[in-house]
Amino acid sequence: MGKFLLLAFRNIFRNRRRTLMTLLMVGGGVAGLLLAGGYFAFMTRGLREDTIHNGLGHIQIFTAEHFRRDEVHVLDTGIDNWRQIAGNVSTGGHVRSVAPRIEFYGMVSNGSKSSVFMGSAVDPVAENSLGFSPRLTSGRDLSGKPNGEVEALIGAPLAKSMNVKVGDGLTLLAVTTDGALNGVDVQIVGIVNNGIAELDARYLRITLASAQRLLQSDRVTNLVMGLDATENTDMVAAGLAPRLKGLPQEMVLKKWIDLAAYYKQVRAMFNGIFLFMGIIVFFMVLMSSVNTLLMAMFERTREIGTMLAMGTPRGWIVALFMLEATLLGLLGAAVGLAGGNLLGVILNASGLHMPPPPGYTVNIPFRVLHVPSMMIGASILVVMSLASASILPAVRASRLQIAEALAHV
Amino acid sequence: MKLNDSLVSVEDVSRKFPLDHSEVTAVDQVSLRVTAGEFLAISGPSGSGKSTLLNLIGCIDKPTTGRIFIDGTDTTDLNASRMTELRRRKIGFVFQTFNLIPVFTASENVEFPLLVQGIGARERRQRVADALESVGLSARARHRPDLLSGGERQRVAVARAIVHRPALVLADEPTANLDTHNATQLIDLMRDLNRRFGLTFIFSTHDARLLEHTPRIVRLTDGHVESDSAIEGDSHGQVLAASVS
Repeated sequence: MGKFLLLAFRNIFRNRRRTLMTLLMVGGGVAGLLLAGGYFAFMTRGLREDTIHNGLGHIQIFTAEHFRRDEVHVLDTGIDNWRQIAGNVSTGGHVRSVAPRIEFYGMVSNGSKSSVFMGSAVDPVAENSLGFSPRLTSGRDLSGKPNGEVEALIGAPLAKSMNVKVGDGLTLLAVTTDGALNGVDVQIVGIVNNGIAELDARYLRITLASAQRLLQSDRVTNLVMGLDATENTDMVAAGLAPRLKGLPQEMVLKKWIDLAAYYKQVRAMFNGIFLFMGIIVFFMVLMSSVNTLLMAMFERTREIGTMLAMGTPRGWIVALFMLEATLLGLLGAAVGLAGGNLLGVILNASGLHMPPPPGYTVNIPFRVLHVPSMMIGASILVVMSLASASILPAVRASRLQIAEALAHV
Repeated sequence: MKLNDSLVSVEDVSRKFPLDHSEVTAVDQVSLRVTAGEFLAISGPSGSGKSTLLNLIGCIDKPTTGRIFIDGTDTTDLNASRMTELRRRKIGFVFQTFNLIPVFTASENVEFPLLVQGIGARERRQRVADALESVGLSARARHRPDLLSGGERQRVAVARAIVHRPALVLADEPTANLDTHNATQLIDLMRDLNRRFGLTFIFSTHDARLLEHTPRIVRLTDGHVESDSAIEGDSHGQVLAASVS
């Protein structure tokens, strides 16, 4: 086996220029996949952490009723004894904090113009302890201890639409849990730009206490949990499930991935593009390698005839060609891994930025992640491609007529 | 000579090749018997069927009609894998153009038939060393073919042909690509191996230098055996004279 491997290895370097070209092509394919995949991984990881730290959190707790039916009135599927539940789940390991939220909607008016808002009511102290801070373009965040005024943050496009700035007042109108219309005057303390234009055009945030007063309810929509690391989400969720059983209200627990619809769409799109690129690289390597390996086979026709004449089993000839192609694939993958990772380091150090993607308003930094599973996958892909490319030349070589092969010039 | 005494027995063998819409008969009803330990030349002009007959005896081609026995085995009805097995165990080949594996050293080339036979590393090393010594190339064992002269390459090829101790060595025009000096050395080597180890050599040639050392010469013309000058007790000169007369 050792000598057979040695023969295959030496055969690779018979025609050094051709081998170099093949290695560059295979390596280029691997490097291309690593760079594209590394960039996609950076984008999806960034989007994941953005999604989580922009307020989604790692785990959210709702009443089961919340998902069974639409609310007739605001908060009628909300959580009653949320303080007890928050206290219970916050004692688990890896939990940084638990923040109550109310999601509501209504109309906002400056006296002469009205617009729809999608409101979020939060406990500023709990949000801050989770590191959830709004992306302020001006002003400040909500205060944990307001001095009588109802404070509000609004999205930059909404502020522009309502022609208001920090320090100005607005009136919020919303339907209470009883179905009555209630209103409250708020003072704008900050303007927010989340980077997603459609969200910012409806964005409004007030404190939990203010929202409960506006909606005439002590309930909250959900509890948002922040963990020490995203990777611990599954473990913590599994540990929490038993604690939510036997409560007066049936509760359900949702992991961030269950709620991050946009993230899943983007990830699916990147996966689709990456798969497509992988298929292209596979066939590019396959088609060009078939030609190269066939040339090698024709050049060695007499040698193959000699080996067959000496009683070498035809299966060995097939194995030899496939082994050579596999070794070539491994070498090409090594070249690609080295080149791709080096290029990735250089690009990361260059500080490049990409234009904002659709729906975003800020430039995205260009970074390439070095993902071990992607390196293994890309290497296996090109090795398989080359091994597949060798099947035709290998079978042809093994089927040579010995007498004809020996007479080959 | 009885069939049982023969190492090689060719019985009424013909080999025809299709050519356009007709056939060419390369070997035409040839019968031949070779006993173990013989040193036999098949001579004749180009196109007389020498190489085709060697291919048939070497089990790398099959006759159109007739039968060939190697060491008592009827090769005519053997399937491809049995033919491969027979070649691997019983036959060694020397080719006109040496046909060494260029990326292997001399010793690795000689080792190859033993690898194919699945012989263990220690025995392989010993047999390769013996084979290279018997052809006088121990000092060149680590050289690749491109660093060897034509004569040395052909001696490596001879070592490769005998290393697995075959019953029969077939050599197709072994001196055709060698100068007189190297050709003479190779002829002496083959004859010496034949005498020392009782190895049976069958080779095709029209090289008079080689024929001078050959006790039995089968002359082919147009695929027929024109003469088979195996005259017991004859000198080389008489045999050669008989074969060309």
